[in-house]
Amino acid sequence: MTRRYSRRAVLMQIGAGSAAAATLTSPKHAFAQMDSRPWFFLTDDEARWLAAICDVFIPQDDFPSASQAGVVDYIDLQMASGYGKGEGLYLKGPFPEGTPEQGYQLPYTPSELLRRGIAAARDEDDLGAMPPPDRSAYVEALSERTEPIGDVPASAFFNELLSLTNEGYFADPIYLGNHNYAGWEMVGFPGAHAYYLDRVDKHNLPVDQPPMGIAHNGGRSTLPRPIRSEG
Amino acid sequence: MAMRELPKTDVVIVGGGWTGLTAAYELAHAGQRCVILERGQPRHTATSFAGPEEHDELKYALRYGHMQDVKKETLTFRNSRDQQALPMRRLGSFLPGSGLGGAGIHWNGQIWRPLPSDLEMRSHYDARYGSQFIPEDLTVQDWGVTYDELEPHLDFFERICGAAGSAGNLNGETRPGGNPFEGARTSDYPNPPMKQPISNTLFGQAAERLGYNPFPMPSANVTAAYENPYGAQLHPCTYCGYCERFGCGYFAKADPIICVYDRIKDHENFEIRFGAQALRVEKSRDGKTATGVVYQDEDGVEVFQPADTVCLNAYALWNVHLMLVSGLGQPYDPETRQGTVGRNYSYQTIAAVDAFFDDEIVTNPFMGAGALGMVVDDFNGDNFDHSELGFVGGGYIACKQYHGRPISYQPVPDGTPKWGAEWKRVLRETYSRHGDLVIHGSSMSTPENYLDLDPTWTDAFGRPLLRMTFNFPENDRKMSDYVMNRALDIAREMDHVTSVSSVNLAREGADYSIVPYQTTHNVGGAVIGTDPTTSVVNRYGQMWDHHNVFVFGACLFPQNLGYNPTGPLMGLAYWTLDHMKRDYLKNPGPLMDA
Repeated sequence: MTRRYSRRAVLMQIGAGSAAAATLTSPKHAFAQMDSRPWFFLTDDEARWLAAICDVFIPQDDFPSASQAGVVDYIDLQMASGYGKGEGLYLKGPFPEGTPEQGYQLPYTPSELLRRGIAAARDEDDLGAMPPPDRSAYVEALSERTEPIGDVPASAFFNELLSLTNEGYFADPIYLGNHNYAGWEMVGFPGAHAYYLDRVDKHNLPVDQPPMGIAHNGGRSTLPRPIRSEG
Repeated sequence: MAMRELPKTDVVIVGGGWTGLTAAYELAHAGQRCVILERGQPRHTATSFAGPEEHDELKYALRYGHMQDVKKETLTFRNSRDQQALPMRRLGSFLPGSGLGGAGIHWNGQIWRPLPSDLEMRSHYDARYGSQFIPEDLTVQDWGVTYDELEPHLDFFERICGAAGSAGNLNGETRPGGNPFEGARTSDYPNPPMKQPISNTLFGQAAERLGYNPFPMPSANVTAAYENPYGAQLHPCTYCGYCERFGCGYFAKADPIICVYDRIKDHENFEIRFGAQALRVEKSRDGKTATGVVYQDEDGVEVFQPADTVCLNAYALWNVHLMLVSGLGQPYDPETRQGTVGRNYSYQTIAAVDAFFDDEIVTNPFMGAGALGMVVDDFNGDNFDHSELGFVGGGYIACKQYHGRPISYQPVPDGTPKWGAEWKRVLRETYSRHGDLVIHGSSMSTPENYLDLDPTWTDAFGRPLLRMTFNFPENDRKMSDYVMNRALDIAREMDHVTSVSSVNLAREGADYSIVPYQTTHNVGGAVIGTDPTTSVVNRYGQMWDHHNVFVFGACLFPQNLGYNPTGPLMGLAYWTLDHMKRDYLKNPGPLMDA
């Protein structure tokens, strides 16, 4: 897959009819300034930490790693929008501790949980400085950890990280992950335009059509934001 | 006291889902002016559920776009009375809907009838195995209405949905290709069964070799162009793989909007109010009848809608909640075992078996439908000899292909890591080489599984939350283990299978958890029967204590069947409406002596 478009490149095409040469320096399109905007929710440090963790969950092989597929962008958008802000979450107190069978009982929205967890984890260890095998061991230890990370139960934090990563790799690219249909190509899922009446009983016939998402654009949401190196 | 009182109507109906819209249809045509109070918003199958936008797994399957908002209404949960119940802070184990059509728009479309013996469960087991057979700690009871009485109504609902299937027992004659255990039906399914993909086909072949009786799952995913008795037009299913948790923009999954609402919405006796949150039912001074329903309208104003007849058609749990906060009936007390409202809450007992195929098989799991399955009913209900087994009840075993949505559908064999390079490699291989078997088991009622009001937490309207106390009864753990092992036998017999794994949510030592999705089949709490000390409503769905209150839905089930509830509960709804029209409305009063 070589045809990758950044948002800046697309905007340049949009503006090409008027003053293409000028777009780079003084973009006409209102959204163009977003190209250099900060994350919607994350800090650069948080984004770096998430990229390191996500790429342990989904490392690169024949198919992209989580961060290469835009999973950090996905998490950023989720944390900044309804889900991250606690939509669909009953947050009336009191908040006594419960059993695992009683489910989530913390007073935090997902974005609060993530921010607190990452801050506490970064206080303890410098994940970015670890070589990849050590990162894997770190994630393994995190998954089994019983003592809390700061004031966040380790299991709640870990489960949130793992499910967000998985969602970002496989959700429709309109949510900024699954870039170029990385996840859908990997398993062979044809996407949202689904009509199989004539094929369901033709057994063992692989489907070789390329995936197509809701936006119908080849999965080219935006180029995953570069994770800037420290300093 | 309500701030605003409206003119009286004949019937006020709480909830605009399958039963509420059907009640309005039938009663409006009987000359009754009906007002439905729907807490959610209007939406339509044509404009709200169209692909590709509807085919958004994140929005609808994971973020519950069509479900009720727990910020407004939720419940508290505990496994047993010695624990403190805590709020269900997000949805998980079950997914009640909100908005026009209710949960009826996001069902799978598995449309079943109860077995005749299911409806007379205690008498049937007593007669076949002796009166000591049903374990002492179960409060299993007869429904008070028989299969023969419900049959015309079960049949009619199948025609409302354009159900697809193969009759196994037509007027008492056993027919090949159907379920030989079903009660006698007076007519065949209105549409032919669904096409089957390779996974389900291999399951059916293996089951047959083992001497069982596989048949295509009865389906409200329609297989041909069809007009229902109300005049609704349905289209053939596309096997798109977006049924459960989604609405069907193809008009191919029967739902209450296209099948009922569209056919009644312009009737002069019909009115529906959206954003109308029922808060409580008001009673007359002598307490013997209800006088109407108080609701909060979209502007936050409390409104009193007086009515001659009150129909409770909310989701099972919220019907019980509304009774408890309104003081309708006698709340159940597990200490004294007196009272009936909240008594006999039960659920569904779910286990699963995964079969993994060799590389000659390509399942294409995304070619699916909610009720696309092959089923074995040999271990459901009392279709098998229980005398040496030490439990009652059973479940169906189905191989289903209902979706391949890639966030949720990630089948990997036991022992696969949960992340990392190896997980990624295995998932690539197994995504399209997986057979999905479910054991859909019954759930018996006990004195300790019940619903009441929580002493601590409140909903957005200031009412105490419903409190659920539930764990799997020992009986159901044994049942689930036994039937799951039969499913494992079938999976191992299937051609091309290289490995199998299983999970039993009701295994010994595992407490029921409100977290992982199991089924939206919460039943009981306002059960039907012939004895006012053990039922909230009489056999016609009429409250013993308040003769002008009629109750609909799965809250009526005295214990849960091994089948999905929509078919049985709609059979009961038509049965109740039939008796309202024929007997009650002419001469309002108790239809049975207490």
